[in-house]
Amino acid sequence: MSQEHFQEDKETDQYTKQVIENGLSRRSFLSRAAGGAAAAGLFGLSGLPAVAAGTAKTRDLEVATSSDGGATLSFLPKPKPIRDREIAETLTFDVVVVGAGASGVPAALSAAENGAKVAVIQKAPFALSQGNTGSGVDLATSEKAGVEALVARLIADSNHRCNPKLIRQWAYHSGEAVRWVIDRARQGGSPVVDQGSPVQRAILKVNGYGMGYVTSFFGPKPYTTGDGMRHLAKTAEKAGVRFFYLMPAVQLVQNKAGEVMGVIAKGSNGKYTKFLAKKGVILATGDYQNNKAMSDYFVPDVKHLGRKQLDKTGDGFALAYWAGGVIEPIGHTKMLHDFDAGPASMCDMPFLAVDRKGRRFVNETVEMSLLNNYLRDAENAGHYSQIFDSNYMAQAATWPGKLVPPEGLKNYMPDDPSPKKGVFESQVNTHVADTIEELARKIEADPATLAATVKRYNEVVASGKDSDFGKPADRLIPVVKAPFYGIHRRVRVSAICSGMLVDENHQALNAEGKPIKGLFLIGNLGGGFYGGVDYPLTVFGLSLGRCYTFGYLTGRHVAKL
Amino acid sequence: MKRTIAPKPAAALLVLLLTALSGGGLAAAGTAGKGQAARTSKHAGQGITCVQCHGKAAKKSAVAMQQCLGCHGETKELAARTAQVKPTNPHENRHFGTEADCNRCHHEHMTSENLCLPCHKFNFKVP
Ligand SMILES: Cc1cc2nc3c(=O)[nH]c(=O)nc-3n(C[C@H](O)[C@H](O)[C@H](O)COP(=O)(O)OP(=O)(O)OC[C@H]3O[C@@H](n4cnc5c(N)ncnc54)[C@H](O)[C@@H]3O)c2cc1C
Repeated sequence: MSQEHFQEDKETDQYTKQVIENGLSRRSFLSRAAGGAAAAGLFGLSGLPAVAAGTAKTRDLEVATSSDGGATLSFLPKPKPIRDREIAETLTFDVVVVGAGASGVPAALSAAENGAKVAVIQKAPFALSQGNTGSGVDLATSEKAGVEALVARLIADSNHRCNPKLIRQWAYHSGEAVRWVIDRARQGGSPVVDQGSPVQRAILKVNGYGMGYVTSFFGPKPYTTGDGMRHLAKTAEKAGVRFFYLMPAVQLVQNKAGEVMGVIAKGSNGKYTKFLAKKGVILATGDYQNNKAMSDYFVPDVKHLGRKQLDKTGDGFALAYWAGGVIEPIGHTKMLHDFDAGPASMCDMPFLAVDRKGRRFVNETVEMSLLNNYLRDAENAGHYSQIFDSNYMAQAATWPGKLVPPEGLKNYMPDDPSPKKGVFESQVNTHVADTIEELARKIEADPATLAATVKRYNEVVASGKDSDFGKPADRLIPVVKAPFYGIHRRVRVSAICSGMLVDENHQALNAEGKPIKGLFLIGNLGGGFYGGVDYPLTVFGLSLGRCYTFGYLTGRHVAKL
Repeated sequence: MKRTIAPKPAAALLVLLLTALSGGGLAAAGTAGKGQAARTSKHAGQGITCVQCHGKAAKKSAVAMQQCLGCHGETKELAARTAQVKPTNPHENRHFGTEADCNRCHHEHMTSENLCLPCHKFNFKVP
């Protein structure tokens, strides 16, 4: 497909060049290492390219400084050498996948189906991932112009800072890949369904061209993609893939030429196992949201915001960095949501929105996926509430999104005794009250502040013009008729979506732009697919769809090497 | 294997003082941070000494979960014992199965914490 797009090479060069110039790699560090403390094995810290930054020597430890001279980087400690006698066992495979998540399990199965002997080493006691929806483009029901228009839309969503080749790769292969994941997960016992195009109703036409989708749904909650990947792992086991659980990868095995030969993992008994990979190691370890130093450095915006995952400490970043890989420049793309407090289908509906205290803070047509930018401070820390009154079913009927009637809202009310279905009961946070003050107490806002906000908002609505925030007139409905409703949402980091430099085969590139033999990076550890401040919700389930697709393609590619 | 472990600060301090004086004390015991002696110990005073958990190596490090299991038994047995806990079994969860690291919630030298709380409304009392 690449021949069809004469623009591509040039565009990719731009992206790759930018990452090499401004990303984080060992290149400059290595050139200095001979005399440096790191060579003596004291401290392994990273270096920015000399053009962008320098190093500072404090006594006997060398630290990199960011281009403004401020930051020191200590989150990528050089792995301690593991001596041969510490290795309890050495096992040889064709392909070794690190991480059994949304990209790793598909990669392993795909490699096995293409004839490889495959091992998966997983930090957790089982396959683990999050979310429900994964998406792909159904080429059979899409116009070619539509596919390209969607590619253009996604590039724009990434502020034109992504690698267009990777977006096209998703666009042209995701339908096949997501369908394959659905089929293989079903074989493992998963209730997964293809929701197809209807759930993508906002993007069925792009620039007037028609589009169709394959949309995998691992749900409803509490069933999620985590369970889905456990079912897929069953199919993979049947196909001969060996899974090693509770075994975090701690180090890559490299030969003198820098080729990756395998990976060393640590068992819960403290003993190491060396996994040799004849064809390649595929790292699929996810993001680094639970590594505070890394997060503060690459995405300072989310310093005060909660996390939705556990144990995502960026292990793969450290492994690939020390093998010569390049981390995308500072300003990584973040994904923050709360689809649990109330109905997901109402999250973008432009009801009155108030901050944690009860103040209006935004033109409510801003989507939930972007609201984190207004709630970054320690006080708000991602908390806000959507407020509406009992006329909402009639008055918001024509708004985009899907209204859930009052009876259905009870499913999201912690104070309501009715049994909950399809939700995480401990995370629902929707409330109803007869007065605004009582509602304020339930959504944990300040009653007087909320009352004043609602009063002012109703004045604005009555005037027919939002002179405070400029929201369109047809999105202005008053909050006057009891009972009043409030959905207390709290956006937390779902994922960080920026990663490390790869080519179209998802092979890691070094700071010279050359492939690192034997090393492949997929899922959120792979870079180039995003580039904006926030993950776009244009295509619902793009993130998981991308993980499945690149797992499927990379597993096959490496197996065939 | 089940036992109730109550913190006895006075006794703990004594053990620490004694071990420190004898040169065998832990300058930096596990979570206590470098150069800081552990303030409390739930185990101390029950006849359990620092070395029984932290070992004798010159460089002391955090205690691996394996060490906890040595005395307290298998995680699966523990999960079975707490199966009736409401609203959910803390020792068998969607994130770690029965293999959550004990140290994430149960702290030896500082107040224990309910790791679930930032995300869920599970009001577990963590001993
Ligand atoms: C609550 C929530 C809901 C979401 N909903 C959606 C949704 O509906 N649609 C969507 O598209 N996206 C969604 N996302 C985002 C999506 O889940 C992620 O982008 C995606 O799972 C990333 O896949 P991955 O393979 O990169 O990493 P993961 O799926 O996180 O897998 C990484 C795996 O690597 C393992 N690992 C880590 N370190 C090591 C190591 N050192 N050694 C061995 N193994 C290791 C981990 O245990 C983990 O299993 C959601 C995220 C969250 C948190």
